[in-house]
Amino acid sequence: MTIAHYARIWFTSARYSIVRTLMFRGDFLVWSLVELFWMSVNILMVAVIYQHTSTVAGWSQYEMMLLVGTSMLIQRFLMGFFWSSIFEMGRNIRTGHFDFFLAQPGNLMFMATTRKLDPDGLINSVVAGGLVLYSAHQLGLHPSVADFLIYGFMVFCGVIIHYSILVLSISPAFWITSAQGIEGGYFTLSEFSRLPREAFRGVANIAFVWLLPVVVVSNAPASTLIHGFKLANVLWIAVITAVWLGAAVFVFHRGLRRYSSASS
Amino acid sequence: MLATFTKYYAAFTVGLQSNLVYRVNFAVRGFFSFFHLIVVFILWSAAYAGNPAIGGFSFGQTLTYFVALIVVQFMIGAFNEDYQISEEIRNGLINQFLLKPINYFAYRFSIYVSARLVTGLLIILPVVVTYPLLKDYLVLPHDWWRFALAVPALLMSALIQFGIAYCFGMLSFWFLEIQGFVILSMAVETVLGGQIFPLDLLPPWLYDVSACLPYYYQMYFPVALLTGRLNDFEVILAMLRIQLFWVVLILALGQLLWRRGLRLHTAVGG
Repeated sequence: MTIAHYARIWFTSARYSIVRTLMFRGDFLVWSLVELFWMSVNILMVAVIYQHTSTVAGWSQYEMMLLVGTSMLIQRFLMGFFWSSIFEMGRNIRTGHFDFFLAQPGNLMFMATTRKLDPDGLINSVVAGGLVLYSAHQLGLHPSVADFLIYGFMVFCGVIIHYSILVLSISPAFWITSAQGIEGGYFTLSEFSRLPREAFRGVANIAFVWLLPVVVVSNAPASTLIHGFKLANVLWIAVITAVWLGAAVFVFHRGLRRYSSASS
Repeated sequence: MLATFTKYYAAFTVGLQSNLVYRVNFAVRGFFSFFHLIVVFILWSAAYAGNPAIGGFSFGQTLTYFVALIVVQFMIGAFNEDYQISEEIRNGLINQFLLKPINYFAYRFSIYVSARLVTGLLIILPVVVTYPLLKDYLVLPHDWWRFALAVPALLMSALIQFGIAYCFGMLSFWFLEIQGFVILSMAVETVLGGQIFPLDLLPPWLYDVSACLPYYYQMYFPVALLTGRLNDFEVILAMLRIQLFWVVLILALGQLLWRRGLRLHTAVGG
């Protein structure tokens, strides 16, 4: 199996998802609005807080906007590329429809987690990217092409880390059958990624900055744009991306051994 | 009268049993709500650093507001009533109610009350567990009138919560899929109901606009009343009247949608 083979499979799935979206244009519009509105809610929260204070954990309003924009960008990519497939994976394991993937021509984890594309999530990544650029402009930043490339690489790593966390959240379905409600836990965790790293102290710092990388994945790229490139940040993100992806692959395949079809 | 009560009491007990089946799911949801409280704690403690008061309220008062919000949400919030109603309409399960002397609104409301009884009791557990950590920050006012007025405010909030969910469920008579509308409405409710930030932190003109909308009375009003963010007795009485107006309007709208929707409804099968 070559990369070209997987790319062909992915493009076929993506084309199918886009054709399907075009069949339900009204639905696409409503869901795009839903995502846009939720993003606006986060921006509004930042705006309201900064009406009453000039700094939060040392971050100014537009620095915070840039952080929120980065967090939303990572989340929109996750939603667009993986969310529907991973969310359905838990349901498929419970109902036995996961059998369908066992007969697929490729790596099972790839096939099961990349089958569906959500264009509404991807459309809103443009808005999230726009917020990052607008905030950078308000801060008077002039990042170089290299800074943007490093920022893009870190956002990519962030998406992989979130993907891994999501796969790890859904994989218990192989053991406990019903993982319903766990995805809600993922959204709660993602709330932490919109907070500045400096706001975490004590146990919260250990838990959410060091053990769970949800804070670092958004803070590190945002800091790269604001304060410039730091090799330590890039290496740190690359290492935790490898560790979390490795853990997701391991747990998924361990769980797969436990899978017993529930269908008739 | 007694026969009517017995009829809906039966629906209530059935709802109680089916909700107890999902007690673990509700408990997990309650547990994650307190994770949200950690986010609130970290964000607002950072915002309060160097500011003794924000919007005229201390950090303790703001944290108390968010804790009360979670508890009230589990006591009166409409969780998935709109989906349940939508499913019953789409799958034709409402047909059985059309042939029986049962008011569909009263039936669904009985089930909603039973569900909130279960979730309301389950949320006590994480509150008790986290109380030792929170107790130094919680600041609750002690005015007796506040608690007396909170009772009708909470009851009417429950009716608004359920009424809005009922109206959205009714949309299934017209639309195949209502999930998008529901989540869009949820986003509006989350902001204008004061779940993201206390509404009193909004600019005054925006706060005044929000106080005219039903979302204000869904969650913010009873919680702000209980936690001392609303203090003017006369203003609170006026707000109770506005809340009553919204209750009547939303319930009437629900009935209108039910009657209009039934005209479009086609019952198939036996």
